[in-house]
Amino acid sequence: MDFAMTYTKEQEAFRKEVRAWLEANAKMPAALGKVPLEGRDTTREQYTWARQYRSKLGHKGWLHPMMPPKYGGGGLTLDHDIVIKEETARYKVPSASSPGDVAIAYLYVYATEEQKQKFLKPLVQGDIVVWQLWTEPESGVDLASIKTLATKDGDDFIINGSKNYISGIYEADYLNTLVVTDPKGPRHANLGQFFFPANLPGISWEYQELITRSGQHFVFFDNVRVSREYLVGGETQGWRVTQSSLEMEHGTEGGLGNREPLIQDLIAGWKEGRRNSLAHGADAEEQLVDAYIRTKLASLIARRNFWMFNTKRTQTYQGPQNEWWGRETRIRNAEHLLELLGPHSLTSDPIWGLLDGRVELAQRGASMATHGNGSYEIDKVIMARRVGLSRTKEVAAPTH
Amino acid sequence: MDFSLTSTQVMIKDSARDFLSRECPLRTVIKALDDSETGFSPDLWRQMVEMGWVGMSLPTEYGGVGSSFMDVATLFEELGYACVTVPLLSSVMLAGRTILEAGSSQQKAELLPSIGNGSRILAFALTEPDYGWSPEFVGLQARSEKGGYVLNGTKLFVPDVQIADEVLVVARTSKGDSPEKGITLFRVDKNAPGLSHRILAGWAADKMNEVVFKDVRVPASAVVGPVDGAWAPLQRALDGATAILCSYMVGSMQKLFEMTNEYSQNRIHFGVPIGTFQRVQDYVIDILNNTDSARWTNYEALTKLDEGMADASLAVSTAKAVASQGFPRSAMDAHHVHAGTGGDTRYGMYLYTKKAKTYHSYLGDAAYHKKRIAHALDLSKQVPAGRGSARP
Repeated sequence: MDFAMTYTKEQEAFRKEVRAWLEANAKMPAALGKVPLEGRDTTREQYTWARQYRSKLGHKGWLHPMMPPKYGGGGLTLDHDIVIKEETARYKVPSASSPGDVAIAYLYVYATEEQKQKFLKPLVQGDIVVWQLWTEPESGVDLASIKTLATKDGDDFIINGSKNYISGIYEADYLNTLVVTDPKGPRHANLGQFFFPANLPGISWEYQELITRSGQHFVFFDNVRVSREYLVGGETQGWRVTQSSLEMEHGTEGGLGNREPLIQDLIAGWKEGRRNSLAHGADAEEQLVDAYIRTKLASLIARRNFWMFNTKRTQTYQGPQNEWWGRETRIRNAEHLLELLGPHSLTSDPIWGLLDGRVELAQRGASMATHGNGSYEIDKVIMARRVGLSRTKEVAAPTH
Repeated sequence: MDFSLTSTQVMIKDSARDFLSRECPLRTVIKALDDSETGFSPDLWRQMVEMGWVGMSLPTEYGGVGSSFMDVATLFEELGYACVTVPLLSSVMLAGRTILEAGSSQQKAELLPSIGNGSRILAFALTEPDYGWSPEFVGLQARSEKGGYVLNGTKLFVPDVQIADEVLVVARTSKGDSPEKGITLFRVDKNAPGLSHRILAGWAADKMNEVVFKDVRVPASAVVGPVDGAWAPLQRALDGATAILCSYMVGSMQKLFEMTNEYSQNRIHFGVPIGTFQRVQDYVIDILNNTDSARWTNYEALTKLDEGMADASLAVSTAKAVASQGFPRSAMDAHHVHAGTGGDTRYGMYLYTKKAKTYHSYLGDAAYHKKRIAHALDLSKQVPAGRGSARP
């Protein structure tokens, strides 16, 4: 077993190339200001720059390096992908916020060739920003119960309804949207997966005020006419089609690197000697060690999934387990931060807060970590199904 | 043995519940106050004064009602239930009662009536950047000079300074052989030259201030209580205020329980109310258990304070340790059940979450109060000293 990331000569040569390109292209001009901590604070100029950067990266084939060039990818190997991920992570850039990128999974598996050229390729090349529309006010983790309705009208559909908790900032080019296509059909066989332009008449959106400010919206559909060309997979196959994206969103892909750099940075700050008091009565060492262990575990689980995903090994419970570990880490670490730092952990003040407001954000983020892409409890329900514990038999959906 | 509320307490509870549910709805009034710059409504304060709530706990000779701790607690439970923010704890229960414990007859006569009728608002400044509620954390220096004192240092995370007329400052006039020795209390006008204050941004429930003292000169008459010897009366006031804060926390937890229980019964997913699922039930029941633990340790502390019992301090620390742990847990459990709805600021539940995280530490966190409990139980004599420390 090899935990160490060892690199081949070819990887190191590639790394030089990637680094040189990033040095020339991945540095946001200082005049655009500081990259904000939270998405909603991204300025329009920063967002424009971020989109351009994303597009440049995509046209280099490096946004989705292992996708085939036919669909805008780099046609590269896992070795290249790892180097690109490590190197791009070294640059702090604003997010162009395209959460609908998870559509890549279902477009690849279910879309027609024509749809792949029209939707998958521009997405892989970073030319379009896509929002992911699942959740509704009455349908959170029970996604199959959504109500937004697409009524057939000749070769088109007329869509009415609303979505909420839709991640993104400013605007999208396309909306990746799950709707009801057969209101009389049985659960799981009554939905359609659409990928349509965001500027169709009748579509509007507004910001949703949440505890954190990453950027989420209500999206409203008022008699929106959508051509059949934007339907992916069968008319009532939407549930099955969307599972591929859900699988992607739900931790299957995993990741490299430190899951929660906040704790690492806090420990580094500790060692350097700090200005403010810490652990006013709490046993600082044990709190910090617990946070360190939790973060380490979350990173290892993510790394395992990264390896399994990229070596095309079959995952069963590992995706939701990875999701759950991420949530558990954020929730428990916020508790440690409160024990360690007391009111210092609740302020974003530049003098008395810590790590440029990241600790205060972690406190707010803990309340949001319980949900989003499912929930803390749903992750466990899915794990149970995947290890054979429930009446519902289930296997992971295809993603590539 | 009688665990029922007195008729006075029932009246306080009912009238407070009635008034606050009408005048202070969570999603409009309370949220707007939280979003506002000062977090203070002069109208609301005036109404509370008129209802006799502000001066309740002060003795009748100073214009108060002489209410018991339990009576005051009944009001504070309702304030917590409604998530109301008012300077009542700072001005009356902390500053006012410290003056009651430590002040001269002249100071009490001069200050307490106006504190009790709400026309004078005091902030209470003890904590500093090196945060803690015991005397070793008091470092702000008060140097004796020309018949008065000069104050230098920083107080941090002090509520209500932004609306106060004066600040009651816990300072250090000397260093003795134990941290309690050398503590002196000062009344300082908020606009005194050399005193600057600002509200700190972030997710604290109340507006928390940084208060900087740069050569702030005060006359000798600004001293409240004995020079170098103020800790003992201060601790008595702190104990009472801590028990009252716990009552607020109990009220908030009660509301979290009701909110979460109701949500679980009305939110339909997978064709049934989510409260049908055991995992959801677990959270609701955990909130209930944490609420009742906090409630009953709090009631015992309040009773012991009212009866003047010697182990009242132990009971107060027990109540605060329980509430400091239980309130943040309950808030997180409520978030688990509410999921997306709880993250939406329009729903308003996050206002209780902020209270939970703030009051976790205010007037001492669980770790601090557990040390007080250990000391009160004389555990250093009962429990062997720790061995096998990892340190070299």
